[in-house]
Amino acid sequence: MASYLIRRLALASLTLLLITFVVYALIRNMPGTPLTADPAMMDPSKQISPEEIDRLNRLYGLDKPWHVAYFSWLKNVVQLDFGRSISQNNAPVAELIRERVPATMLLSVSSLVLTYLLSIPLGLWSTVKSGTRTERTVSTVLYMLYSLPSFVAALFLQILLAVKLQWLPLYGMSSDNFETLSTVGKTWDVFLHALMPIICFTYGSLAYYSRFIRANMQEVVRQDYIRTARAKGVSPGVVVWRHAFRNTLIPLVTLIGLTLPSLLSGAVILEQIFTWPGMGRLYFEAIGRRDYDTIMGLTLMFSVLTLLGQLLADLLYAVVDPRVTYD
Amino acid sequence: MPEPTNNMMMEENDQASLGFWGEAWQRFRRRRLAMLALCFVVFMCLMAMFAPLIVGTKPIVCKYKGNIYFPCLGYYNRSWENPIFRKDRFRNRYPKNLKTKDPESWAFFPLVYQDPYRRVRDGEWEDRPGNPSGTDGSPSRLNWFGTNQQGYDVFAQMVHGTQIALSVGFVSMGIAGVIGLTIGALAGYLGGWVDVLLSRVIELVMCIPSLVLILALVAMLDDVTNFHLMAIVGCTSWTGIARLARAEFLKLKQMEFITAARAMGASRWRIMFRHVLRNSLAPVLVPITFGIAAAILIESGLSYLGFGASPPNPSWGTLLKSGRSTIQQTWWLIVFPGVAIFLTVLAYNLIGEGLQEATDPRLRQDSH
Repeated sequence: MASYLIRRLALASLTLLLITFVVYALIRNMPGTPLTADPAMMDPSKQISPEEIDRLNRLYGLDKPWHVAYFSWLKNVVQLDFGRSISQNNAPVAELIRERVPATMLLSVSSLVLTYLLSIPLGLWSTVKSGTRTERTVSTVLYMLYSLPSFVAALFLQILLAVKLQWLPLYGMSSDNFETLSTVGKTWDVFLHALMPIICFTYGSLAYYSRFIRANMQEVVRQDYIRTARAKGVSPGVVVWRHAFRNTLIPLVTLIGLTLPSLLSGAVILEQIFTWPGMGRLYFEAIGRRDYDTIMGLTLMFSVLTLLGQLLADLLYAVVDPRVTYD
Repeated sequence: MPEPTNNMMMEENDQASLGFWGEAWQRFRRRRLAMLALCFVVFMCLMAMFAPLIVGTKPIVCKYKGNIYFPCLGYYNRSWENPIFRKDRFRNRYPKNLKTKDPESWAFFPLVYQDPYRRVRDGEWEDRPGNPSGTDGSPSRLNWFGTNQQGYDVFAQMVHGTQIALSVGFVSMGIAGVIGLTIGALAGYLGGWVDVLLSRVIELVMCIPSLVLILALVAMLDDVTNFHLMAIVGCTSWTGIARLARAEFLKLKQMEFITAARAMGASRWRIMFRHVLRNSLAPVLVPITFGIAAAILIESGLSYLGFGASPPNPSWGTLLKSGRSTIQQTWWLIVFPGVAIFLTVLAYNLIGEGLQEATDPRLRQDSH
């Protein structure tokens, strides 16, 4: 086990090194630098003189070729210094990212919890009721939802719930008078703002997971041990829950590991539509501003989470399935 | 018709067997929803191909000063529109100019007189008001799906935008398929250090956030065309295909018919491309179909974010973007393109699923 872990971690750090190298090369070769790509600099009165730009370039190390700059970035990261955002008044990147965590987690965690809470009963229900008319209708609706792109759904929901019915606020995370509200009022306000984004984050994975559970269940209920359980008079509920569902947990558990990066990654287009101050928006803004250190910090975080998630999935696999060992 | 290489697929009676693809087609045809989706995609392809005949302001065919011209070809390629019209200062206003400059002329116009690239003005067509602009362009008799803020007809943009959506899907997945199959084939068939190396490359591309990759590549271009987008999407979405192809090659190279081919003295490349590749095509086709749906999503998403092809670009995503900016008033700029994107993605998903069930031998044994 230990040797397996060490091997996996070594391989992962090699991959990580390669990813950051490639991404650094890519973003440093995009035209423009943080000093020239800032929209505020477009104003002629605020433009900096070429000499000043030269000075700043030297100051921030932007005059060095990108491969040299990469290694100095790497050296800082190893010392846990993730750099500073030039376009945001030299704010530390770690701080910028930490600021966005709550907003992103609010959406991703509640959507994840909702997905599991709803998809498991839904998947089991459609296995039990397989073939009936209501089950087929529900499955068709779920399939359609699965194919509905989330940004299209987001725009449709905005038109329906915010513009036509005016039940929910159109975008943002809080109202203008947020500061004046009581604690309960604040929570309610954020809840109202978060409702549409959460729906958009949830429905797609809900459809995917319940279809996934149903497909796995249908494979399992054909097995001999299910027939045996039924034959010896176990009640249908216990058969489904204890005999069948527990055996579909293996693929489900591996999926949990793979959702790890999505907890923090946010979604660029959705956050853009709802002007939600999350990670995806930070990423998008950072790319637009050529904010190298922020892009690298976020890329590093996503890559670490992705690789960790894969490792976690493989390890969980061994936990839930005793036949799998890594010795 | 390729010879049936896989004896597993052959029927045992004396009738001439259909071959693998024939049988898969029969299976596919039995699925009503998949067939419906296929019909929808064919319909969209026809619409994309004949968009200038359906909606446009350039005549399909006209007689002008004694010659027959096809000005609508200008929608496919600007240089295919006969230069005589530019010389005679038509300025894309065909109906009036044809009449005043040559009373003898006649012309067949497309079904709908609207243009995806400009606003139709007052009186261009006799007794017809011009397109409303701003947020007044709600759907009407003249503008079926309304107009955008500049007064361009939404229906015209959507019909012409079909070309973008479909070609992005097909071309980018074609590119991704070629890259993915080649890399997967080399890794799976050759094995050894080639496999280790290529597997690392696949993992690397998989782990790089695709948005960074795409946005960085788009940012490096000055003038983004749809072909650039296709190439970029193709170059970033081949990893799933490569992994599947690798697994297929690993599995197939152990089969008896490969040993037989080797025993008969077939060269390594011949075995790889004639025997193994042909048998691994079916499983690879499934992620390609799903990939087309994903590519259409990426394209419209990029256009929505403002990173799509440079304007004028009547992409569905661009329409959504302009609709979002005035969402309080212009619901038609979101609902119609949104439904189009949804239906296209749904159709490709249904086809992909149909293909999967028609070609997967594991599912077949269950049904027998």
